[in-house]
Amino acid sequence: MTGLSFDTAVIGAGVMGASTALHLARAGMRTVIIDRGAICREASGVNAGTLTLHMTRAALIPYAMAGRQRWIDAPIWLGADVGGRAVEGMSVAFTPAEAEMVEQRAKSRREQGAPIEVISPARARAVEPGLNERVILAAYSEIDGYASAYLTGRAYRAALVAAGAEIREATAVVGVDRAAIDRTGGGFTIRTATGEVIRARRLVLAGGVWLEQMLGWIDVTIPVKCLINQLIVTERVRPVMRTVLGVASGLLSLKQFENGTVLIGGGWQGIGDTVRGGVEAIPDNLMGNMRLARYTIPALAQARIARIWLGLESETSDALPMIGAVPGVPDAYVIGCVHSGYTSGPYMGELLAELILGKATSMPLFDPARLVTGGAPVRSGSVA
Amino acid sequence: MKTIGNGRIDDAVERGALVDFTFDGVPLRGYPGESLATALFVSGITDLRKAPRSGTPRGMFCLMGICQECVVWIEGRRQPSCQVTLRDGLQARSGTIAGLES
Amino acid sequence: MTDAALMTNAADLLVIGAGPAGVGAATMAAEHGLDVVLIDENYAAGGQVYRPMPPGFARRGSPGPDAAIGDAQRELLARSPVRTAFGKLVWSVSQTFRVDAVGEDGPTHWTAPALIAATGATERVIPFPGWTEPGVIGLAAATALLKSQQMLPGRTTLVAGCGPLLLAVAAGILKAGGRVAAVVDLASPVDWMSTLPALASRPDLLARGVGWVTLLKRRGVPVLFRHAIIGVRRSAGGLAATIGPVDAARRPISGVLERELSIDCVAVGHGLVPGTEISRIFRARHRFEHSLGGWIAERDRTGRTSVGGLYVAGDSGGILGAAAAFQQGRMTGLAAARDRGRIDPATFDRLVTPIERSRARNERFGRAMSGLMAAHLGQAAAIAPETIICRCEDVTRAELDAAIDEGAATVDQLKAWTRCGMGPCQGRMCGDTAGALMALRVGDRESAGQFTGRPPLRPIPIDLLTGTYDYADIPIPGPAPL
Repeated sequence: MTGLSFDTAVIGAGVMGASTALHLARAGMRTVIIDRGAICREASGVNAGTLTLHMTRAALIPYAMAGRQRWIDAPIWLGADVGGRAVEGMSVAFTPAEAEMVEQRAKSRREQGAPIEVISPARARAVEPGLNERVILAAYSEIDGYASAYLTGRAYRAALVAAGAEIREATAVVGVDRAAIDRTGGGFTIRTATGEVIRARRLVLAGGVWLEQMLGWIDVTIPVKCLINQLIVTERVRPVMRTVLGVASGLLSLKQFENGTVLIGGGWQGIGDTVRGGVEAIPDNLMGNMRLARYTIPALAQARIARIWLGLESETSDALPMIGAVPGVPDAYVIGCVHSGYTSGPYMGELLAELILGKATSMPLFDPARLVTGGAPVRSGSVA
Repeated sequence: MKTIGNGRIDDAVERGALVDFTFDGVPLRGYPGESLATALFVSGITDLRKAPRSGTPRGMFCLMGICQECVVWIEGRRQPSCQVTLRDGLQARSGTIAGLES
Repeated sequence: MTDAALMTNAADLLVIGAGPAGVGAATMAAEHGLDVVLIDENYAAGGQVYRPMPPGFARRGSPGPDAAIGDAQRELLARSPVRTAFGKLVWSVSQTFRVDAVGEDGPTHWTAPALIAATGATERVIPFPGWTEPGVIGLAAATALLKSQQMLPGRTTLVAGCGPLLLAVAAGILKAGGRVAAVVDLASPVDWMSTLPALASRPDLLARGVGWVTLLKRRGVPVLFRHAIIGVRRSAGGLAATIGPVDAARRPISGVLERELSIDCVAVGHGLVPGTEISRIFRARHRFEHSLGGWIAERDRTGRTSVGGLYVAGDSGGILGAAAAFQQGRMTGLAAARDRGRIDPATFDRLVTPIERSRARNERFGRAMSGLMAAHLGQAAAIAPETIICRCEDVTRAELDAAIDEGAATVDQLKAWTRCGMGPCQGRMCGDTAGALMALRVGDRESAGQFTGRPPLRPIPIDLLTGTYDYADIPIPGPAPL
């Protein structure tokens, strides 16, 4: 079957890939975005939606701030409300060791431009009356917030369609061939499990935890670690908190949405891998997460948990993103493995689109070349 | 079969002594062993809460502890009232979630 | 936790659900040497059909047929070495068969190399405008009200839907001295007649059904075949229900002969849906079996699923009724004993044959009843746009259709886009209808899919799960990097 020809094919329709594809399409590129599943249904659709600066890596603060604003402004530029809300946020300490962490984190993030100040327990309780009175210190930021991750897919899909991008959901890629440099000018041939063959001049790999396998398609080896994050949400509860909360150790994210549900996260690990996806939660880790949440906002004792799920989060060997041109493969790009990637996602995709469009990027990208190892590439044909 | 006027069927069982309970402060009586939801129902109280999004009244529906429509507050805990057995002195409140816009 | 306590949490076999299937399975497995733990959230065995008497009630006179069977099964259980865990609500099942539950005194868990899911079925109610009004209850709920709580649903009740529960509830109300405004049945007399040959395999049950029909006739209760509830609303006297005729596809014929009835209770049900929460958590292979109530785990004749060590018994594997469920449970218990090496294949074959015969007889009857209860896609197609589909989140059909228009192609995607299925009932009330509505657009149920199965199996209070603890008790792993 003769496939269609595109200026750019994006493989992986999470927020990274979808944002990149959206900006390319809006700039006039013939763009196709391909995913073996539904758009924004992996990490991008199931994360806690925290738009915080407290737990963002210091180096990523400026990106997180830009990304956060885009979520809040989504009705304007994306065309739909994904529940992005600006609220204050705190990272609290219950022990002296945690208090020291609060001080250290606040300082390093302030250096990167985050408006984070360390406040007294009395002020913390004034900001958040429902907070456990045993708080001993807190980092406070006026710039914080949340979005509803599960609304992301619908919003991006509509925006991509409006921008004229082609969308191929339920389309697993089984391999990518690099065309010989000849009169057609090179490019990539993407073979899919549906039988469709897609040709594109440029390739963007945006597959999150599956990026290691994807890079293997084009013979590049970059190890990617896969974290299995557990998330818990309650049924609707009367208002019990008004800020986004975390604990200094980083192991709690806590927020209450307008509909009253409270989302409990923090990176407690469950069981899963890139082959099976998220398999199941570990009961002891659910217990730890819930105990931490209830300790922080004691009123949560009365809430009932309604759903538990898992999300896969990617991480590189130095815990910093890989965004930019793939070394040694002309016209191939990669984007992903950003801690707090949901927060900065809309901005990261915008930056990569700038690069692909030949413009100067508004902020520096993160050269994937630093991560390439000498090992043999992972060659599984399909990530399905 | 005979029915007691308020909807209880008389013939087939012997019930214990009436017990007192309250719903939203209203004093009521029922028989030990009855579920809170059905004891309220047969007392004429069908509205147990308001749905959070629409504000519409809701009451017992499946009587299996599945649908969560009959959820009420009992001493600080939310429970499906069809799964709660009546006992003397039980105090229950409407399951409406306070403070949410409908 | 002492070693002894730790030991008692381990068993050879866990059985979840103490209805007829669970009791049959547990007692049979224990009889052949397995250490079995039987877990149920109720305070005694019986499930829905053989529900025990409420504590504090004493029976007058002799028990009815279902009560007698229930008593016999509870007696069987009491005499067996099965370890029972009543009043325990299972909220999590892991891939390694660790089962977590909560009771009044907090969390507990068990582990075993094998697990039988015998969790029964839930009632299907195809939505109509006003179905969320207080006073509208399920047919199964009306049955529980009559038989267990010994109460009438109302002064005058409208009984509607399809299947044998229609007659059972209507007759039960009449016998208790209540009034039935009408029986509104989606089926036609021909649909009922076509079940007669199968009903002959249980002449006692057939006779009981005929008795119900006779009673309705004698009391002059209108029985309206090929009719459905068009809508219900609150009225001065209670509820007002509009009913009207439907065609063979069970879609309302608009504008024709609608009438309004004044009642104070509506008992409505459109069949039973197998409870697949546990088999879905295990990602066992499922298929959509319309005649058996919907999605079911694929099983062999003794209940083994595609997941090693996981069995499904009773209605949770396909609606075949309580009598067949008990026999099926016994077969599954035998299979578990055989699989764990307690009986050899020859003994298994010898023991299972008479049970299988008895089960087959009950299955014939059960299948005929399931046929009457099977949902038709036409019913879902006819749901008015403003009708609430997801009761927990107040999501209407119009909202679901809009999401599908925009590209949602599976029920999981529909859930993410509309919140349908995200509420505390965890998709049990809306899942079947959402699947039908999606199937109408994407072609079939298999393509529409199911909601992904995950714990918790029910909403669980945080205080009950977390217990009493200090900050130091929280096992906090190392902090995230700077």
